[in-house]
Amino acid sequence: MPNVGAELASVPFGKMIYDMASAIARSQVALDKASIQLVKVLANTTFDYVPDVVETLLPNPRQVRGANGAPLADADGNPVMITGVQVQTDVGDSFPLTLLQAGVNPTFYAFTNSSIEVKMSITSTQESSNTFSVGVSVTASADFLFCSGSVSSHVNFSSANKYSYSVTGSSSMSTVLNPVPPPKNMMPRFFLVNAIDPKKITVSQS
Amino acid sequence: MAFQMYMVAFNGEFSQAMSRDVQHHIRNLNGVTLMVMKTGIIGAFDDSVAPFVQAHPSVKMVGGVTLNPRGFAADRLQRIFAENLAKQIEVKPQ
Repeated sequence: MPNVGAELASVPFGKMIYDMASAIARSQVALDKASIQLVKVLANTTFDYVPDVVETLLPNPRQVRGANGAPLADADGNPVMITGVQVQTDVGDSFPLTLLQAGVNPTFYAFTNSSIEVKMSITSTQESSNTFSVGVSVTASADFLFCSGSVSSHVNFSSANKYSYSVTGSSSMSTVLNPVPPPKNMMPRFFLVNAIDPKKITVSQS
Repeated sequence: MAFQMYMVAFNGEFSQAMSRDVQHHIRNLNGVTLMVMKTGIIGAFDDSVAPFVQAHPSVKMVGGVTLNPRGFAADRLQRIFAENLAKQIEVKPQ
C-alpha cells in the first residue's frame, strides 16, 4: 500500500528552501552591485547649475506721448509722466553639479515575502479478480458382456491482479521585489562648508 | 508593471546623433525623456521595457532612480522634468 507520509517526507523541502534562498541572495548581490554602479554614474554625471537669477526692478519714468508722438503736457505746461519700470537681470555664474548632489538617488531593491508551494497528488488503484470453474463429465456404455465407463473432470482457476500507483507533484516559488531607500553605508555624505562662515558646516546624507 | 524613472547611461563618447537615437528608442518603447546630459538620459518608462532599453548598443547601463525632495536642486530638476514631460505627452479628447 502507498505510504502518503513517506512520499511527503521524500519531498526535498530543505534543498528547495536552500536553493531559493541562495538564488535570492545571489540576485540581491547583483542588484546591489548594479545600484552601487549607478551611484558612481550619478556622481560623475554633471550639469551646469545656475544658482540664482536676480531680477531688479528699476524705475523708468518717461513722458507720455500723444497721438502724433509729441510729448504730452498738462494745462500748466508740466510734462505728463508715467512711472515705468525696467527689469535688470543678473544671472549668477553657473557651476557643475552632479545628479547625486542635485537630488537624484539610485533605487535599491530588496526581496520580501518569498514563498514555496508544493502540490502533490498520489493515486493508487488495485483490482483483483479470480475465476474458478469445475466440470465433471461422466460417460458410460454397456454392451453384451461388456460395459465401460469414464469419468473426467476439470478445474479452471484464473487470477488477475491489476495494481497502479502514480505520484505527480508540482512546486511554485514566488518572491516580491520592493524598492527600498538607499542604505546609508552605500550613499556618500555631503559636507557643505560655508566659506563666509567656515564654522558652519552642514553634513547631509540621502 | 510600474512606470518609473531610470538613468540611462551612454556607452562611449557622447554625440548628438547617438543621444537622439537613444531618445527615439525610449520613445518607441512608450517612454519619455525627462532630462538629457552628456553622460546619459534620465527617462521614465515601464519596468517591462527596461531590458529593451538596455539592449540598445549605445546604452551602457539602465538603473532605477528616485528624486530626493531634500536634494540641493530637487525642485529645479522637478520643474525641468515637468517641462520636458509636457512636451512629449499628447492629450487626446475623450
